[in-house]
Amino acid sequence: MGKNCTLGELLIDQLARTVEDDTLVFHGFGSPLVQIALHVAKRVYTPNLVLVAGATYGVNPDPPFIAPTTNDWVHDRNSECHLSIGELFDLSASGRLGRMFLSGLQIDRWGNTNVTQLGRKTLKLKLPGGGGACNLSCNAKNITLWTAAHRSEPVKGKRRYRIVSQCDYVTGFGHKNADGITRRQLGYLGNGPQCLVTDLGVFDFDQDGHLRLNVLYPHTTVDDVLENTEFEPRMKKEVKTVSLPSLEVLSIIRKLDPLRIHEKELSPGDRSLTLEEPKNAAIC
Amino acid sequence: MSSREPMALIRSIIRNRVNGLTVVGSAHGIDIDLLCGANAVSASQESYVGFEQDFGMAHNYRRGCESGEIEIQDNCCYTLVQQLRASIQGLPFMPIQSVRGTDFEKNHPSYKTIQSPYSGEDILVVPPLTPDVAIIHAQYADLHGNLRIEGPPVVDLLFAQASRTVLATVEKIVTNEELKRLGGANIPYFYVSYIAEAPMGAHPTACYPFYAYDREHTELYMSAAKEGSTAFKKKYLKDFVYECESHEEYLHRIGGEDTRVRLSSWKESTDAWMELYKEST
Repeated sequence: MGKNCTLGELLIDQLARTVEDDTLVFHGFGSPLVQIALHVAKRVYTPNLVLVAGATYGVNPDPPFIAPTTNDWVHDRNSECHLSIGELFDLSASGRLGRMFLSGLQIDRWGNTNVTQLGRKTLKLKLPGGGGACNLSCNAKNITLWTAAHRSEPVKGKRRYRIVSQCDYVTGFGHKNADGITRRQLGYLGNGPQCLVTDLGVFDFDQDGHLRLNVLYPHTTVDDVLENTEFEPRMKKEVKTVSLPSLEVLSIIRKLDPLRIHEKELSPGDRSLTLEEPKNAAIC
Repeated sequence: MSSREPMALIRSIIRNRVNGLTVVGSAHGIDIDLLCGANAVSASQESYVGFEQDFGMAHNYRRGCESGEIEIQDNCCYTLVQQLRASIQGLPFMPIQSVRGTDFEKNHPSYKTIQSPYSGEDILVVPPLTPDVAIIHAQYADLHGNLRIEGPPVVDLLFAQASRTVLATVEKIVTNEELKRLGGANIPYFYVSYIAEAPMGAHPTACYPFYAYDREHTELYMSAAKEGSTAFKKKYLKDFVYECESHEEYLHRIGGEDTRVRLSSWKESTDAWMELYKEST
């Protein structure tokens, strides 16, 4: 069919497919891949989604384009109504936020995320901070994790992994922390991270709450995943390759994001990738 | 972040050589980073300080934290909301259904776990937060001090209710009649201690409907901040803060009327709006 797309477009489609219909979802700031994914989900997969925009708290907005910063008035244009910051977090605390999307400069094997600092005992790098990630990670019903920087090229022979064995700091709670405390023990309402979408593939979490490779992309291999992950992730029995987004999805993305803001989440090398539909693609 | 930050107030705070500040807020960017670049901050309880995917890390803030000049006391959005609510409601603490199990619990000895007297379950409680001063930039005020914020107020309403002193700058001071015509106040005057009219007082962040985010100026700011703290003082603070004796002088230095016209062009069309955000290559 000759359909092809960019890696950013593939990631958006994969993120959009993690949403259930008739649920309330929220995206944070600084996450255009997710922001666009929710618009795709609402228009194609899950029309009854209650889409709450990050930073502006607009409900079901229809922005004319995607701007470089999240709390721009562009993003809440044509919203049906607005929530306040307290109201959105209240909804999450009482178990009424269906899904949240979280990322991190470190994401570990149990789905904990770190956006606070690198360095466990001594501070090596102060990261910007997590906004409300800590709060939402505990009580959002389901969580999709994502990162477009799984591939970690060595700098001066040393690799700074994005997907790590253990986070230096737990900003967002996964399935259990380094002390072995689980979310069930803490009585949290949320089910925790359900999947992780990266630039190399899509993962889920097994019965133990451990990261497990589920599917790859047309251009990635199991070896890419092993090489770029600090630990050895578990594997699904059969790791398939995803199919590319439909032409409808691609046209929505291209119309909504003419400035290609979502590509800023990708590494410069990944921005120019063109992917082609693989044979034997799996729908995931 | 890129919208309605009280930048004219912050520049004035820096010019008046105020320092040793503890800053607290939800998600912020250039406002906190500018204060850090002027060595005015000694502790940070922000939930986020950065420039999102647009420009990434806040260099002055990061350097201050890493050198030990700024004590890191990161907060989270909802924890902050609950702390402000405790203060607003006159309560000794507020329970919160999250945080336990994360490292915020370990790093904040003031958070305590208690047992619910009803279910017996463990629950985290956080202390009230009563800031000495809240600084806010709004679109409109009337002469009595009633404030009208247009668009998302984020945490400003809670900060106004919880703080001992509220300082506000506005784009325009109007009569109470006119304020009502515009849709009415959302922060009543008795919370507000002082107001001043400062057109473009949020620049380089946006204050719609008056003007959009000045991405071009922010880029200039970032390139100076990236070079290091001395370069930042020489290449940015000197020109745009220390040497500007007044807000009018600042407006002149950022390009005066031409800049105002450029940033208000967003309303002409979607294309004009997008034009403001194109990468300068």
